[in-house]
Amino acid sequence: MNNDYLDPINALNMPELADTTFAMDFLLRTKEGVRNLAVALTESSSPAVRALLREQLMQGIALHQEITELMIRKKWFHPYELREQYQLDQLSANNAIKIGQMDLFPDDTNRKGMFDRTPDEH
Amino acid sequence: MNHQTLAAHEAVDLHEIVNFKTLCLAKSKLMQGLVFDEDLKKLMQKDVEQSIQSLKELQVIYQRAPFKASVPQSRPIPTIN
Repeated sequence: MNNDYLDPINALNMPELADTTFAMDFLLRTKEGVRNLAVALTESSSPAVRALLREQLMQGIALHQEITELMIRKKWFHPYELREQYQLDQLSANNAIKIGQMDLFPDDTNRKGMFDRTPDEH
Repeated sequence: MNHQTLAAHEAVDLHEIVNFKTLCLAKSKLMQGLVFDEDLKKLMQKDVEQSIQSLKELQVIYQRAPFKASVPQSRPIPTIN
């Protein structure tokens, strides 16, 4: 991979790397969701709040299991073979650093002025 | 013990949980347009559907917050520049 974001060589195997990243983000959000709900539950007193948080906590635990199993099945996550996980982690980190160093958004991206009136108002 | 208005701590926690769930819903929806893998996209769709349901339920309970206020159509003070 090089820093030329137009070079097709960079697109080689990109889908796999992209999906790995999206799945990891999804996994981290489910983990955070479970943790947040557990903490909130321990700080709630109203029965209705506790019931709702408990239900969503259980749902969150189930979803976390699903995404974990999916990632293991797809070989995007290796909880048992940590040498593979190490390689994936470093590879993804390198890739993120390369993308981070690219000048992807040089032009003016401030489009705010386009959204402050309806088409017929001038 | 069944107060209509929420206790302070749980109400502020609900503020956190509502925001977190809102962002998770938005992100999963956005990601569906980016992912290549069909199975991952299906699981994200499940997350989107569950999150919509959860968020609605949270919003209802959140209405019992002591700091409740009427919700305007759009942001009270739009930030233009």
